[in-house]
Amino acid sequence: MKDKKANFKRLPLLEAIILGFLVVAPLFLSDFYTVILTRMLILCLLAISFELCWGYSGIMTFGQGLFFGMAGYAVALLANKVGFVQIWGVIPIGIFVGTIVSFLLAWLLLLGKKAPEIIFVALGTLTFSYAAERLVSGWYYVGGGNGLSIFEFLSFGSYEIEPGVLFYYIAGIALLVSYLLSRYLVRSQLGLVLAAMRQDEKRLLFLGYRVRGFKALVFTFAGAVAGLGGALYAHHEGFIGPNNMGIGISTMAVLYTLFGGVGSLIGPLIGVFALETISFTLSGVDAFKSFWPVILGAILLVVVTFKPDGLTGFIVSRRERIGTFGRIDKKEKNGRKETKD
Amino acid sequence: MEEILKIVFDVVSFSCIMVLIVSGLAIIASLMGIFNFAHGEFVLLGAYVTFLFQAMGLPVGLGMVCAPLFVGMFGFLLEVSIIRRFYNATIVAMLATYAIGLIIRELTRGALSGRFWKVSEPIPGLFQIGDMSFSIWRGVIIIITIIVMYGCYYFLTKTLFGLKIRGAMENPSLARASGISTTRLYAFTFAFGAALAGLAGALMVPLYTLFADLGLRFLVMAFLSVMLGGVGTFEGPLLGSAMIGAMVPGFQWIREAPVIVDILSPIFSEVLVFIVAIIIVKFRPQGLIKRGRI
Repeated sequence: MKDKKANFKRLPLLEAIILGFLVVAPLFLSDFYTVILTRMLILCLLAISFELCWGYSGIMTFGQGLFFGMAGYAVALLANKVGFVQIWGVIPIGIFVGTIVSFLLAWLLLLGKKAPEIIFVALGTLTFSYAAERLVSGWYYVGGGNGLSIFEFLSFGSYEIEPGVLFYYIAGIALLVSYLLSRYLVRSQLGLVLAAMRQDEKRLLFLGYRVRGFKALVFTFAGAVAGLGGALYAHHEGFIGPNNMGIGISTMAVLYTLFGGVGSLIGPLIGVFALETISFTLSGVDAFKSFWPVILGAILLVVVTFKPDGLTGFIVSRRERIGTFGRIDKKEKNGRKETKD
Repeated sequence: MEEILKIVFDVVSFSCIMVLIVSGLAIIASLMGIFNFAHGEFVLLGAYVTFLFQAMGLPVGLGMVCAPLFVGMFGFLLEVSIIRRFYNATIVAMLATYAIGLIIRELTRGALSGRFWKVSEPIPGLFQIGDMSFSIWRGVIIIITIIVMYGCYYFLTKTLFGLKIRGAMENPSLARASGISTTRLYAFTFAFGAALAGLAGALMVPLYTLFADLGLRFLVMAFLSVMLGGVGTFEGPLLGSAMIGAMVPGFQWIREAPVIVDILSPIFSEVLVFIVAIIIVKFRPQGLIKRGRI
């Protein structure tokens, strides 16, 4: 088993490089760029949430933006109406809202009498995203089309956490924890079931797995991650609006993931950094601004048509992305060795 | 009584639009196995072409004739250039059509400069039955839909080309083995489905305002009609869209009750329609009409 070539892994290397870069980045970036980068980190949570659904379990969802936005609205309402901005409350509330909303959706769409088809789930989540966007843009209690602004900074006790280096590290830790949890999840035996679900759902059903239950589980977990992102986003930007919870942001989640590369957790992160950097550097050009959504659509089309592996596909082989799952039992391992010998 | 009849008339005309949209969607889905996420945007394109004719000072009616032709052509080009690659990967095809839809939607948004536009009815006015008056244009929509749907039915069941389509639907490889070019058939059918969507968009745009998210809205409504009515039947979507159409004014009426009016804004009734529809689907997933024939 000690084949050197097989043991050389590019994926962990890539992860380590990105982690290293993110840890030291604020040391040599100005405050302005740190704030931009924090925003990207938060959007990474959204992208990971979509990747868990689509890349790992084959659930096509246009609902990640909904969980993201719901959590954002929840903490924004709390800050506006009650004046509660404590970080130890805001983060759990974001996760809680994301979990509840995604569980509700999973119950409605995934846990039906008959096994849900991919199209049904995709359109169902699309419907909810669309409905929610319409709802908040016409509901004056939550700000209507103007959205909600948060005027106070996120705080711990009486200490205010302004967007900047400290907020950057908080978002970074949130991302790291979510990333590691997701990584553990998809590389465990559960992850193997999820991968099987993505590859051949029917066969898995015949083997006796409760596919719907697993789908609902991963969908809810992904919702929690998106909710965490939404809560942080609302406080970081100091604003949440209908644009942050509807089809638009859900589409962005799809784009980040597909552009960065489906099938690895690092792919969506790369997608976020790549797309957001392009969007940021070119945001000064007026003609570009109005055509950016069109360009995004074209990017999605090109990726889907010609490079389904996305950007990470250039670096990491498909075999490595599929990877291994969980630990192999000692006994089994020995057994394998014996047959090899 | 008069009120109810008027609502029924409105609901029927709304259902007719939905029938045009859903049948285009269904014919593509059942022949090629691809769910077309860009279908709503084809509706939008149809509406936009009509709007362009009005903006250029040409008669709106002419625009309505040209819209299905144009959207059909567009659908044909799309099939030949892009959709064709995805016949053995229908899930990826869904993403591709979503991307196409996104491009069309955003281009239209740019062209409409993000505003709401109104297109006038080509035949304005009201007609009288007894002492009740109905909008002529809605009546025209109903008549055109009946003619088009009958034409489709005749085309599919009575002509040689229709026979080929049905054959390819039943068994594509056998159809190919019998010397039917499914490639050409698929391109034609996709164009035809797109043209139906374009027609629906052109016909309904005088009743609504034209804005970029119009297509999305109709895609969602078409989805809900199909789910409510039952997949794979002809009457299903008809009934489903009638229900959705009936729910909109129904909830509007509930909303005007004294207590609720303070809480609910007009948009609620629309959102409530979506939620109620999904909940019905949850508890009756087979739809109102079970799959029988077709």
